[in-house]
Amino acid sequence: MIVVHRFRHLLLLLCILFAGSEALSRDGDIEPIKPIIREHGENLEKASLGEKLFHDPGLSTDNTISCSSCHQLDMGGADIVQFSFGVRDQIGVVNTPTVYNSRFNHAQFWDGRAATLEEQAAGPVHNPIEMASNWNEVINKLSQDPSYVKQFKQLYNSAINAANITDAIVAFERTLITPDSPFDRWLNGEKDALTEEEIEGYRTFKSYGCIACHQGVNVGGNMYQQMGALSNYFADLNRPITPSDFGRFNVTGKERDKYFFKVPSLRLVTLTPPYFHDGSVKTLNDAIKIMAKYQLRRSIEDEDVERIIIFLKTLVGKHSRMNP
Amino acid sequence: MTKWHSSLIQYALILTTITVVFLFFQTRAVNIEQHNKRVDILLQLKQAEGKVDRDLLQVTSFLLVQYDPFVDLYHRINALAKEINLDNLTTENQLFSEKLDQYLGTINEKFELLEQLKSKAALIRNGLHYLPVIANQFHQQEPDIGDEVILLLNQQYRHHLLPSFLDVSTISKKIIEVQNKYQDKVKSVDLFENVLFHMEANLKLMSEMVNLRESYVNIPSYQRFDDLYNYYTDYHTEQSRNSERYSTLLLAMTVLLFAILGYTIQKLNMAHDLSRKSHKQLVDAVNTISEAFALFAEDGRLILYNQKYLEFYPWLKDQIDQNTTLEDITFANISEGMLIDNEKTGELADYPDNENKPLTRSNYIEQFPDGRWFMANDSVTSSGEMVCVRIDITERTRTEIELRKLYRALEQSPASVVITDIKGNIEYVNPKFVETTGYSEEEAIGNNPRMLKSGDKDETAYGELWKTITEGRVWRGQFKNRKKDGAVYWESASISPVRDGDGDITHFIAVKEDVTAHKYIEDQLRLNATVFDTASEGIIITDANNHIKTVNPAFTQITGYSLDDVFGLRPSILNSGLHDEEFYQDMWKSLHDKGYWSGEVWNRRKDNTIYPEWLSISVIRDEDGDIQEHVAIFSDITRRKQDEEQIRQQANYDALTGLPNRSLLVDRLTQAITLSRRDNSRVALLFIDLDRFKVVNDTLGHVLGDELLKLVSQRLSDCVRESDTVARFGGDEFVVVLTEVKNSTDPSDVAQKVISTIDKPFKIHNREIFIGASIGITIYPDDSKDINTMLRNADMAMYSAKSIGRNSYQFYTHVMNEQAQQRMELERDLRKAIERNEFYLCYQPIIEIESGDIVSVEALIRWDHPQKGIIKSDLFIPMAEESGLIGTLGRWILQDACRQASVWQQSGNNINVNINISSRQLALGLQSDEVVNIINQAGIEVSSVVLEITEGFLLDGTRSTMHWLNDLKKNGVNLAIDDFGTGYSSLGYLKRYPMDTLKIDRSFIHDITEDPGDASLVKAIISMAHSLGLDVVAEGVETTEQLTLLKTLKCDKAQGYLISKPVLAKDLDFQTAVNL
Repeated sequence: MIVVHRFRHLLLLLCILFAGSEALSRDGDIEPIKPIIREHGENLEKASLGEKLFHDPGLSTDNTISCSSCHQLDMGGADIVQFSFGVRDQIGVVNTPTVYNSRFNHAQFWDGRAATLEEQAAGPVHNPIEMASNWNEVINKLSQDPSYVKQFKQLYNSAINAANITDAIVAFERTLITPDSPFDRWLNGEKDALTEEEIEGYRTFKSYGCIACHQGVNVGGNMYQQMGALSNYFADLNRPITPSDFGRFNVTGKERDKYFFKVPSLRLVTLTPPYFHDGSVKTLNDAIKIMAKYQLRRSIEDEDVERIIIFLKTLVGKHSRMNP
Repeated sequence: MTKWHSSLIQYALILTTITVVFLFFQTRAVNIEQHNKRVDILLQLKQAEGKVDRDLLQVTSFLLVQYDPFVDLYHRINALAKEINLDNLTTENQLFSEKLDQYLGTINEKFELLEQLKSKAALIRNGLHYLPVIANQFHQQEPDIGDEVILLLNQQYRHHLLPSFLDVSTISKKIIEVQNKYQDKVKSVDLFENVLFHMEANLKLMSEMVNLRESYVNIPSYQRFDDLYNYYTDYHTEQSRNSERYSTLLLAMTVLLFAILGYTIQKLNMAHDLSRKSHKQLVDAVNTISEAFALFAEDGRLILYNQKYLEFYPWLKDQIDQNTTLEDITFANISEGMLIDNEKTGELADYPDNENKPLTRSNYIEQFPDGRWFMANDSVTSSGEMVCVRIDITERTRTEIELRKLYRALEQSPASVVITDIKGNIEYVNPKFVETTGYSEEEAIGNNPRMLKSGDKDETAYGELWKTITEGRVWRGQFKNRKKDGAVYWESASISPVRDGDGDITHFIAVKEDVTAHKYIEDQLRLNATVFDTASEGIIITDANNHIKTVNPAFTQITGYSLDDVFGLRPSILNSGLHDEEFYQDMWKSLHDKGYWSGEVWNRRKDNTIYPEWLSISVIRDEDGDIQEHVAIFSDITRRKQDEEQIRQQANYDALTGLPNRSLLVDRLTQAITLSRRDNSRVALLFIDLDRFKVVNDTLGHVLGDELLKLVSQRLSDCVRESDTVARFGGDEFVVVLTEVKNSTDPSDVAQKVISTIDKPFKIHNREIFIGASIGITIYPDDSKDINTMLRNADMAMYSAKSIGRNSYQFYTHVMNEQAQQRMELERDLRKAIERNEFYLCYQPIIEIESGDIVSVEALIRWDHPQKGIIKSDLFIPMAEESGLIGTLGRWILQDACRQASVWQQSGNNINVNINISSRQLALGLQSDEVVNIINQAGIEVSSVVLEITEGFLLDGTRSTMHWLNDLKKNGVNLAIDDFGTGYSSLGYLKRYPMDTLKIDRSFIHDITEDPGDASLVKAIISMAHSLGLDVVAEGVETTEQLTLLKTLKCDKAQGYLISKPVLAKDLDFQTAVNL
């Protein structure tokens, strides 16, 4: 048992050694960012049905809004406005996140209130300022369409119900992955996939500490962090604080979770302005500077911001609907 | 009495039989599969939780640089929890459900703490990394103060490394001191304050993290799991044993009944015998009783005594004769040293009223110097005789003395002792108990031990305990109890039942020891041991002389050696011989100087295979700095090395189809060309483009599109020889490279084969999909000699094949090159044509069939090329769309057509104008209010303009398309859908979009009079459109028969050569009427 106790100190020692290491390794295993899988592995018939549902405005109360209204697949899986429109021209309260690669997140929504994609799917359908509908209404509408009834019968051997609808939509969403980005190819050992300049950008990204939160396969999306971890972000804003600024607090009700948000994925960040939960920042350049100031509390040179942007561009992978 | 007793047993037997049969069938249904599944889920949960614990430890040690493992574990645990919550056991068994909830509750607590730990660890990592950078910056600015700051920073790092070095408050006090001391002297104030801010923040976060980790470790999830698991296995054992138990019970009951019957008969016989023998036995009794017995006559003479009496008083043997009296005996006894218990000394009781009964008796104790004690009883009978009985109580007295000793031991015991009655009421507590709990003896006695309860165990746990001890077994376990002053402490207790001589339980005794301190250490050690046992890296620990002390399971898994194999040996048994002496010398030097070493090493497994590992070795020193142990951690990187190789392979193949990709294609083509140069053969390159693939992808979705590409790839591969290459060039383009081509029929055979296999329907998800292939062919070295030109030529040939009609192939010719050249020129001319005003509009009338009146005209563009003459719109419109020129051109068409309509309207011809709009115009930023503005500027009614859009326009439809159309509609513009029936038509979107008119494509009208299928199709379209409130226009009407038929089909309007070709505005004859 003494032996084991010693071993703990050793762990601590090793970690300090690793924490300081900034060197780029050719070894993909050690890099904190992991490549995206190349095969989505979903049932194609379900995904195909899900794709139809994803684009069907019948999921909204007045048949005007579909999932794809805000999650536009050719616009990086989101839209370019600060807050999206819902039915009857209502305006949302947080910026629309991308639907691509959402299967890799540890929870959904900015405040992580849905643990799974299935839970997430029900959210916008019921939200009075998004689709303002409910499952009964949606099921009624879909059941009018014989082709839907037939497809559900074939695939699920049952009538249309909320569980089947979400299952199909989720199957489709799980096909929305963007593998084969230049960075992933580099991680996989293809030395020429990145230019020296892009590698330098990655090195900068790591050395500033962006990597501490934006890591893993989705370069984010697997933890929560306080907006303004080291300096008060909200105090410097020229606007009153709204309930949606409380973030995770709205889910847990715990004071310590105030202003905590899910760290967003940076996979398609170059395609999905504006930025942050409040969509308040229009350019990536400004977003990076704000991150440096409030999350890291350090100043950042303009050339370094440019370097980081060069790196972020290499994270964009491929999907046939994306047309980057 | 006996009869009543027997019938009771009979009834009991019948009842029991029925019950047993019932229960027998009840409990047979123990479902093994379900049981295995539950156990499996529970163990998986436990395993996943163990992984979370291990990874968490890595996070707090900053060993885990990315948090994805938690994402999987989080989802896996949630899925498992969901699965087990669906189990009907949770609704049937309240206890199980509660224990499950408690366990899952602790896991949730863990995840909450984990989230906080993740956020904090990220900030701390950044701090640890940034602090030296900023401190150095500051040091360069102000070396003097900088020295002090760096010293302080070093202390802080030492604290992180060795928490015992300085405590947090000392360091933070020092930071404040430095701040106060130099606040006014420092020049770079911002930098100075930023350094100190980061130091303070880092220190604070670090100690918060340690606290969170402590809370995490203290979550009693393992105990909750054990509770749950043990409860479940007990429950299951109970279930599965029930059937067996009840069958046994049945047997036992039957046997019991027979036994009772036999017993009753035997007892009757014995009673009979007894009465005969009783007399004789009475006589014998005196001699056989174990007590000493003597009878004295009224005058004191001894008249009767038994053998025992002499054994009790051996000295009397020689003295007793006929005349011995009680007095003689008493005297003899006293002279032998007999003492009499004073209190009981023989006083005679009074004679009561009734003289017939023997009433005088006296009890006392006799004690002899040899240690014997007798209980004496002297009674006087009614006839005056005295009966003396002596009982040897030596043993009992000794026991009493022993008991007193034990009592003292209890009183002074270092463990708490509690004795309760069988109801659990305290009858005794020892002083240690009083000391431990703070409750006095008076407070404790009569009370129940649950007064100490702290709430760590629920009622069921106490129920279990109670059940165990009332069944006569010993219960051992731990309590988390609460003292009188509220403090909580841990006790290890054993509670056992106390039985009397008959074996009945009379009391319970609990012996308890305070193990609070012990327990804490145990938890810590268990956590550490888990890390050691579950780490995926091999770990070797050797002593100062480098002899192996222990290894972990991962070591055995990687090397094949068990601990027994290697214990006491040196790690050099693993040496592969691939490294030279110098390598090991460097390793030992680094270990000696720096205390650690890490690097890649090739080692040998037990089975003699050699493998690469990443090895880290550290030296552990004791307080005096002497080497105590070496710890080596390594991971097998064989797999990783293999993966690298595999990835390199994959980089050359297309992910979707598995075919060679563009870069491999270039390699293969280069090889093929090199080979053909050597043997003077030829190489053919086939460029294949799929027809209608875009339509499939757009209308059926990319999921099906991707699936289709996979099937196409398979068919293509089946068309060629093994030695030929099929590659995916991109999108729906494929390239086939044929080697050793003898003549031009070889490639054309292959091309024909490809076309006919692709032409066959593809079946995907019960849907038949029809596509085609267009192929361009080029031959090396005939057409060109470099790869890029070959690809370009083949591409050109493919376009040519497309243009002559799909499903065909074309060899590259030099003419094609020229045509492509011309195309480029045309495109260049197109740009200039707008400036040069070379476009003009023609108009084709649309009539109302009923009246024959012209109600509208469709504006159609023409290009008057200065050299080439009139060019058709299908030739240059796609070109304009591709290049974006359609934006400018489209605006011009809109303006000019509106202007012309205004001219007509002012001259009294009240007709509408139809204008075509391309979806590219929308994409290029044509705003709906801009359209309305153009119409208004022309001075015509908005409602007299009809915008014609194609089905493709709607298919691309995003929300913005919908808004665009709705806006126009709101402003009064009419919308028509053009060429209806040519795309993958869906009536669904007609409902969704605000259309007014539907134009049936000319291809349906062409054969309408010959083909009844077309006629009924047109009829269906018309009635459907009418039901949606749409006007219907038939395009391409060329004969009177067609028009007549359309009229009977209730088509509203018609357009076509029969009525008029497209003509210039000035040539338009409004009186044109078709006589039906």
